[in-house]
Amino acid sequence: MRALLLTALWVHLGSSVLLVGTFFMPLLAGTSPAPTVRRWDATLLTWSRRLLLVVLGSGLVWLLARTSVFENRSAAALDPRAVWRAVLDTWPGFVWLARHGILLVLGAFLALAADTGQRRDWIAARAQALALATMALALLSASSHAAAIAPGTARAVAVDVVHVVATGLWLGALAPLALLLHAASGDEGADARPHAIRAARRFSRAALLAMLLLIASGVLNAAAQVETVGALVGTSHGRLLIAKLTLLAPILLIAAVNRTRVLPAVSTPRAMRRLAVFVGVEAGLGLTLLGLAAAMTLTTPARHAEAVWPFPFRISPELLDVPAARWRALIGSQLAVVGAVVLLASLLGRRRRGTLLAGALALIATGAGVGLMPLVVDAYPTTYRRPPVTYHASSIAAGMAVFQQQCAACHGAGATAPRVDLRARLTTARHAGELFWLVSHGVADRGMPGFETRLTETQRWNLINYIRALAAADGATTIGRQAELDRAWLAAPDFTVAVGPLAPGALRDYRGRRMVLLVVYTLPRSRGRMIELARTYNLLSTIGVEVIAVPTDSAPDAIRELGASPPVLFPVVTDGAADIVTTYGMLASGPHAEVLIDRQGYVRAIWRESGGGMPDAGAVQREVEQLNAEKSPPPFPDDHVH
Amino acid sequence: MPVWKVAVALNLSFAVGLGLGYAGWGRRAEALDRDFEAARTQVERLERQQQACAAGARAGEQRWEGRGIVRAVYPQLLMITHEEIRGLLPARTTSFRPGATLLRESLRIGDPIRFALQGTGADDATLVAVAPW
Repeated sequence: MRALLLTALWVHLGSSVLLVGTFFMPLLAGTSPAPTVRRWDATLLTWSRRLLLVVLGSGLVWLLARTSVFENRSAAALDPRAVWRAVLDTWPGFVWLARHGILLVLGAFLALAADTGQRRDWIAARAQALALATMALALLSASSHAAAIAPGTARAVAVDVVHVVATGLWLGALAPLALLLHAASGDEGADARPHAIRAARRFSRAALLAMLLLIASGVLNAAAQVETVGALVGTSHGRLLIAKLTLLAPILLIAAVNRTRVLPAVSTPRAMRRLAVFVGVEAGLGLTLLGLAAAMTLTTPARHAEAVWPFPFRISPELLDVPAARWRALIGSQLAVVGAVVLLASLLGRRRRGTLLAGALALIATGAGVGLMPLVVDAYPTTYRRPPVTYHASSIAAGMAVFQQQCAACHGAGATAPRVDLRARLTTARHAGELFWLVSHGVADRGMPGFETRLTETQRWNLINYIRALAAADGATTIGRQAELDRAWLAAPDFTVAVGPLAPGALRDYRGRRMVLLVVYTLPRSRGRMIELARTYNLLSTIGVEVIAVPTDSAPDAIRELGASPPVLFPVVTDGAADIVTTYGMLASGPHAEVLIDRQGYVRAIWRESGGGMPDAGAVQREVEQLNAEKSPPPFPDDHVH
Repeated sequence: MPVWKVAVALNLSFAVGLGLGYAGWGRRAEALDRDFEAARTQVERLERQQQACAAGARAGEQRWEGRGIVRAVYPQLLMITHEEIRGLLPARTTSFRPGATLLRESLRIGDPIRFALQGTGADDATLVAVAPW
């Protein structure tokens, strides 16, 4: 059924694009009294009526095939109730209905067989048909992958509309132009040659504009739907995009040859025939390209699909932090820039082009070798895999337990054993997916076993969250009692705020709304500080700070233990406190510690018992006011490690 | 009729049809939404009044039910961190006045409770019943 769906969509897309072109090309070329041109115009009108039937027919087959895919049963395609549901109860069905309604209006308009002898009537007829066909084509974007992008749906759909309409105007017009050139190149079509030359020149200019729009909108579409190199290379959707770009290259080459070589010499019938063939080949390749576009429509967008990296290596820009690699990258990039300049000179100059070209390519290759080699690291199929487990205190604590049980013997309890230090830059620069592969399959030459069979997938991801938290804890030693302005880098691990049987919340619920003063406390030692916090809670709350208290002993009756006077009104975590204490204990250990987390979800200040004691309300207020004054707050941290 | 006039008429009908359809349908849908929301609020209010009547309320009084945790107990005040009380308050910590018949002695800080409020609004809600959650 999927093959039928793909075929129907391809035919529908191709015929819709051609339909737009059959109205656009005559309008672009203008009117002419030449009999051959009039015959061409009449042929296009006949084409358009047949194409419209193909569009409607393939649209119907597409709807039926999609219904059976939606319902996951072949018989649904012929079940009127299922089709009815697919049309009226789904957004794509609603868009289908609107598009096909417009196409029916276009059909009625074309069936009028009105007199278009007057130039004004002819232009009105073609322009009206073009508007309706373009509207029907553009509406495809309303149910495309672009419509599923949120936030920014309107922008994504607008970009897709530009992409689709530019395709219709460029690709759709190629076949009618080839037909005109072919007709004019023969002896009996000599009267149409001036018109054909004018049409080809006008199309050349319009196609250049359409191609620029296609490339710009295509880049924006790819940025929104593919996002990463891993997704581009490692998913079906990304690979189809690469195939599409590969096919676009010869199309662009033919278009460039047509524009620069064939078109200027098109006055002779032979050259005109050659141009007709080239344009026809371009149209054929373009229709194949639409097949790939149709297949992309039916695959999961790359950004949502699981990427499988196909190469055993990748470039790691993170290694630019290492001075030696940075220097080599700098030298390599400069060599490549000189190579690019020489390449430009070889293309523009007229003497010694071969020598210059060879030198340029050698310089670029040397530059790439010198600059990129130090950044090359081993890569694995899971390199770009997204962790399914969020960076959450419960995951980190579970990972810590697994680490102590399975890994500490070799890596050391603090993961700092020589040669296998998990806080070293080489480890922290690794993608989470690479760590997942190494944990799963082991490192044979270092004697590390694989844990694929010993640990569940969740346990392995928990372990990776713990390894990331270790590196974060290492860096957190530089975070002290005063927040460094405009330097938010340490994402606060999320945690569940469960107070008794009340519906639990989460740290991330406060993002964008309030700062959080996380207080890890131990009674009776912290009693004085907790009384102080209870007394100043109103003030802290007023300046936008929520206090969340977490007892180190995870007592279920923690609220009661804090006493009645003064009343403690801030949330006191009574369930899952141990995970929070374990995780945040990596940042600030001890029986009492306080962590200020800004509105964006980053740790900005830590008060440790060993580092000068706890702040008073005034000190917290000063930090909060400073953070409020930050000019460009960072984006919310990702919920998953990378 | 010349084709250009047909084209103009067609586009005009498209524009007018879309405009009128959207305006009419959109406004009708909005009005239906408002009516539905008002009816739902009214039903909920009547249900609360009915519950309050059963408990011997004055005219206009309603009854709300909620769940929460006791945070402080004073002779004339009870502070409760509660879930959303539908039709009255969002989830937060609120102080409530206990009714004369309420037995407060058994309440302790940290107790999870179900409670009932009665009154004409948030400022006038009195705690009339408490039970363990």
